[in-house]
Amino acid sequence: MNLNVNGRTHEIESPPLTTLLDVLREELGVHSPKVGCEQGGCGACTVLVDGAPRRSCLLPVAALDGAEITTVEGLGAAEHLEPVQAAFVHHYAAQCGFCTSGLLMAATAYIANGGTDDREAIAEALGGHVCRCTGYVKIVDAVAAAARGDEFDLSVTAAGLFTTTMSGGAA
Amino acid sequence: MKAVGARVPRYDGVAHVTGRTVFVEDVEIPGVAWVKALRSPHHHATITKLDTRPAEQMKGVRAVVTAADVPLNVYGHLSALGIPGDEPLLADAEVRYLGQPIAVVAADDEQTAQAAVDAIEIEFEERPALFDVRKAFDPDAPQIHQWGNWYPHFEAGMDRRQIRKGDIDAAFAQADVIVQGVYRPAAIEQLPLETQVCQVVPEANGRLTIYSCTQALYFSMGVVAAHLQQPLNKFKFVGGTVGGGFGGKVDTATETLCSLLALKSGRPTKWRWTREEEFLCSSTRAPWHMEMADAVTKDGWILGRRMITLHDSGAYARFSPYGVTKHAFHHTGAYTIPNLHFDGWCVFTNRTPTSAMRGFGVTSVSFATETHLSRIAEELGIDPFELRLKNANRIGDTSPNGVVYTDPSTVPTILAIADHLGHELPADYRTMTSEPRSDGLLPEHLVAQVGNPEDH
Amino acid sequence: MPAVTDVLLPASPDEAVAAFGDGSGVTVIGGGTIVMPDITAGRIRPARTLLLARAGLAGITHEGSTVTLGAMAPLQGLVDLPAPVGPCAGNVADLEIRLQATVGGNLCSGEGAEAPRGDLQGPLLAVGAQIRSAGSGGITTEPLEDFLGHRRGRLVLDLTYEEPAAGAFAAVDRPHTHAYTTLAVSAARTSDGTIRLAATGAGWWGIRLPSAEAAAADPAAAGAAALKDVKLHDDALASAWYREQALPVLVRRALARLEES
Repeated sequence: MNLNVNGRTHEIESPPLTTLLDVLREELGVHSPKVGCEQGGCGACTVLVDGAPRRSCLLPVAALDGAEITTVEGLGAAEHLEPVQAAFVHHYAAQCGFCTSGLLMAATAYIANGGTDDREAIAEALGGHVCRCTGYVKIVDAVAAAARGDEFDLSVTAAGLFTTTMSGGAA
Repeated sequence: MKAVGARVPRYDGVAHVTGRTVFVEDVEIPGVAWVKALRSPHHHATITKLDTRPAEQMKGVRAVVTAADVPLNVYGHLSALGIPGDEPLLADAEVRYLGQPIAVVAADDEQTAQAAVDAIEIEFEERPALFDVRKAFDPDAPQIHQWGNWYPHFEAGMDRRQIRKGDIDAAFAQADVIVQGVYRPAAIEQLPLETQVCQVVPEANGRLTIYSCTQALYFSMGVVAAHLQQPLNKFKFVGGTVGGGFGGKVDTATETLCSLLALKSGRPTKWRWTREEEFLCSSTRAPWHMEMADAVTKDGWILGRRMITLHDSGAYARFSPYGVTKHAFHHTGAYTIPNLHFDGWCVFTNRTPTSAMRGFGVTSVSFATETHLSRIAEELGIDPFELRLKNANRIGDTSPNGVVYTDPSTVPTILAIADHLGHELPADYRTMTSEPRSDGLLPEHLVAQVGNPEDH
Repeated sequence: MPAVTDVLLPASPDEAVAAFGDGSGVTVIGGGTIVMPDITAGRIRPARTLLLARAGLAGITHEGSTVTLGAMAPLQGLVDLPAPVGPCAGNVADLEIRLQATVGGNLCSGEGAEAPRGDLQGPLLAVGAQIRSAGSGGITTEPLEDFLGHRRGRLVLDLTYEEPAAGAFAAVDRPHTHAYTTLAVSAARTSDGTIRLAATGAGWWGIRLPSAEAAAADPAAAGAAALKDVKLHDDALASAWYREQALPVLVRRALARLEES
């Protein structure tokens, strides 16, 4: 069976009931979807399946032959951030970052489906996602800003006082 | 000072939104073995049989570790401060909480590791369990800890944290009203989105590289080194990227056992707790039992507080004695009460051990104090804001443990809250500051009690 | 990796029925929201699994006043239906789960480990749905009420009901999106004026409230009467005592909303 992940087609070898989350992380090395609860309860593993936000921990890969999967790796790279990514940076919507990938994908689907900056509508769309750091206000701020089409001069932040390292944390 | 007033970027913000932040489990280590734990199914029991051979003989199993494999099995979170340890890394002979680890397995994949855990032969003799801190002192209470049912190692060998300040009997003799309350906040799980996780690589040079989600890297390194009885230079900790901690990742929950398995098997190891393990087996914020009685004048001055606290530490001490100490030092909340009589015990029960979480020790008593002050105001029929402002910490006041406040923020905070809520206050309260009490609010007959900070 | 020997992926309803057979030894996965966590955690290790993802059965159709819900219709597809079905579906979990969870799975999932599940059972009982299912003895159609008693061993195909003249749904608010509903009452009035009431969360399966229906003209009496129809229990969501207090209130609210609609 095949999966198209972020524009590239992969032949999948994992057993058929392996979750999409495990296929992405363990077989394909796509690490932005996170293992938070493995029971659909936290949203850290949300990816787009044919454009719709889904918990990848609940999907058996056998049901997805030929599907198009989009993860955060398929959004913009650092130099070409999508508006929703830039909004998350600008509004400090990511703190520890563990829930961020799932939220970004849910927000991407929300905006792609014509979502507005209405805070209640955003809260409804992101309602299944748990963030323990931010208290959600900044996340809703960011999604609303992206939905409005706000533009951010990230050079202010990107060229800030500290050099932004791209290598991330532990490795 | 370029950062003051500037929009400073998160150093990791762009990495977070592009999926490039590397959390512990995102580090790809070829050939890594999965770790699973055999955990106690009982709250309190004696282990009567433990045979790991069926697990060791399974195909794909790389190592099994029990208490017998740990160079120093018992080591305490506060051992570095000279306090004796009480908690075994792996249970030996006795289990004291449901979910306590007894043996760990490293195997080629997650399923095999779990199957090996299930194959370990173990038998228990269940013992009566203790869950209610109020019953811990009863003569017939189950005895659950080698130190007795409460922690005996506070300063000077005391079995409680004790505060004595002023003349508590005089304060209660002067009181118009005595307001009593019992407050029992429950346990809370820290609930980081990333569960407890680590990966350990045995390097060719004999060292261990430990990818850790710890919140306290050097502390965790010390804990691992102590259990393994190895010098610190045998360990390279890689940390700093924590998927949420909130206190729950100070415990060094996985690193030591993964290290032992890596050393025994010669293979890299990885242990990620399931969400269920995180809820059932990881430290929580403690439940507390607090009883307080305040001696109060009818115009709202709190002259004295008698208080008893039973801190539910769960089965082992971990950071709980430190939590009780903080609790004692903060037991008047943001207010100054001149006469105090406080006793706080760190009580053992057969619950999951409790430990750090965001201001632990303090939040419980802040909740109790604020609730209690509102009840006092209600009982006296006076404005709860005025009651709080009257008794607020002021410059020169002293904390329960004798620290002199030089910059207390109670008054401006309460005024800001009143402002925000549109709560009307009389002029003499509205203009109150944190300056020492010289604004004439204090009744003459109480000056000796609360009016002159030099006196206490 | 799950230790699975046999995964069946039928491409049509007929193939699904054939693959299901008499259902013995078959674990059915509709959307996966309930079964997949059990497989991942090793709580179940199915030997034979029937994945319905490609079997069709996902349609939602209206013919006149007749509504048909395919077993694989996602709950999100029901959200805009009139009460009580639509508001109940919209009250389940969050958007992403509703896009994935299915009607069939919801109806077959009454027994959670620590709380009742299967929110849709109540409203579909209230609208008098007929359920078509396959299994031993072939394809049968029967009232949902009868089906719930023996649903193990059946493969749900679809449900059909007549749109009621009026409908209402009242539930205890969920503390957050991931909580199952503690208790909910669904009401429907047919064009001849008959009122049907059903509860979810007042037992391990959805249940009709015949005593409350008989007293429906007087909402307060109906609320009290509802307690005769149920056997309440303690679980992870609420105590029997709490449910005893809440059930009459929800019956009154549902009847009041039915009156307004």
